[in-house]
Amino acid sequence: MKKISGWGIFGIIVAALVVILGVWGIGSYNNLITLKETVNNQYSNIDVQLQRRMDLIPNLVSTVKGYTSHESEVLQQISESREKLSGASTVSDKANANAELSSALSRLLVIVENYPNLKADTQFTALTDELSGTENRIAVSRKDYNLAVQNYNQTIKKFPTVLIASMFGFSAADQFEASEGAQNAPTVSFE
Amino acid sequence: MVKKKQLLLTCLIIIGWVLSMTNVMAVVNPTSDFYINDFAGVLSKDTKDYILSNSAALFDKTTAQLVVVTVESLEGENLEDYSLNLFRNWGIGDKEKNNGLLILLTMEEREIRIQVGDGLEGRINDAKAGRFLDDYGIPSFKKDEWDIGIKALYSALLAEIYSEYNVEMPEEVSMLVSEYDHNSEDSKIGMVMGIIIVALMIVFGGIFPLIFRRRRFYPHDYHDINHGSRGGFFGGGFSGGGFSSGGGFSGGGGFSGGGGTTSGGGASRGF
Repeated sequence: MKKISGWGIFGIIVAALVVILGVWGIGSYNNLITLKETVNNQYSNIDVQLQRRMDLIPNLVSTVKGYTSHESEVLQQISESREKLSGASTVSDKANANAELSSALSRLLVIVENYPNLKADTQFTALTDELSGTENRIAVSRKDYNLAVQNYNQTIKKFPTVLIASMFGFSAADQFEASEGAQNAPTVSFE
Repeated sequence: MVKKKQLLLTCLIIIGWVLSMTNVMAVVNPTSDFYINDFAGVLSKDTKDYILSNSAALFDKTTAQLVVVTVESLEGENLEDYSLNLFRNWGIGDKEKNNGLLILLTMEEREIRIQVGDGLEGRINDAKAGRFLDDYGIPSFKKDEWDIGIKALYSALLAEIYSEYNVEMPEEVSMLVSEYDHNSEDSKIGMVMGIIIVALMIVFGGIFPLIFRRRRFYPHDYHDINHGSRGGFFGGGFSGGGFSSGGGFSGGGGFSGGGGTTSGGGASRGF
């Protein structure tokens, strides 16, 4: 039997290392893909709910208009922030526009207190239920999204996964968070 | 010195982390009955038995899970978050179909919420959930009549789920629902008529199958309950929800969640 030379052993070790590295690299890459997909999925969940919210607003506005004559300022604000939201493309733009819309809507709900007939309208109750349900869904999907982002971002920054991440261009994802001031709802006192 | 400080800091961070973890996980565990958890102790035995047997029957026929929870207080948490966490932790509904529904009543805050699993949102959208709360629950809750309010709300939702699955509901339930609609002052005539027609169809069209089925709706003996629970464990016992409600193993015969989830649908009311 022929003895394996020193170079031969070296070659075998190198080959083994390459195989191990390759297997690890593939696993790590696939894991990153899964995490990234989760982030994307959760993001589209937010989008669906945001869209739903935007769809509900024209109905709400027209219902409110039927009962109120001199509250056009708030309605104007709602329409404007809705426009902004539909035009937003980045995560932070969307988060800000969404927060603005929330504050405009909450202002509307305060005003509604002055219109008992509107409050008693079944159509209006149904719409506010749908809207608050949607807001709750947005909150839930935002939480789920941010968790997925956190998980993903942590993974791509950790050694040694960071090597694979930078090699294949995995970049950090943004949290869905409104910047300070975007949702500064006016303080309202109920007296 | 520096090392000591670091050690202290690390300890503090760890303690803080553990505390925050327990805070997040502060969800009550379901009882072995799973479908009815009267933690606040405001419901009568009759109502609890009614809910338990009807939810078990509903699960047998449709795999949907309709759960009622009453708690004394939310311990400072917001109603929507509390109900979401509870729903997901318990895994209400089937893991694939997400057909769970939760009625959560809190005494201290005087709030009620219907939390709808994703799979039932088509039938019970937020507006409908809100209307059901207004029509069946709130009038009684305002007068502290928990038994009446919960039973009416529960029955109305039960009937909805049966309709969603095109499964005949027990006669008792349809009778109750139509009764509530008669009693409610602003009941819609169309709805009442619809329910009467359904009730008539059930009475005349399906009296024989009902006689057989009825026996299952009053499982006061434990055999029937055990039968239902076995389905529950096979249905989704391996999912997180199934195991977290491990109380089902004790006390001989119990129910557990199927691993269903919700994305936040439903409606809330204060009263």
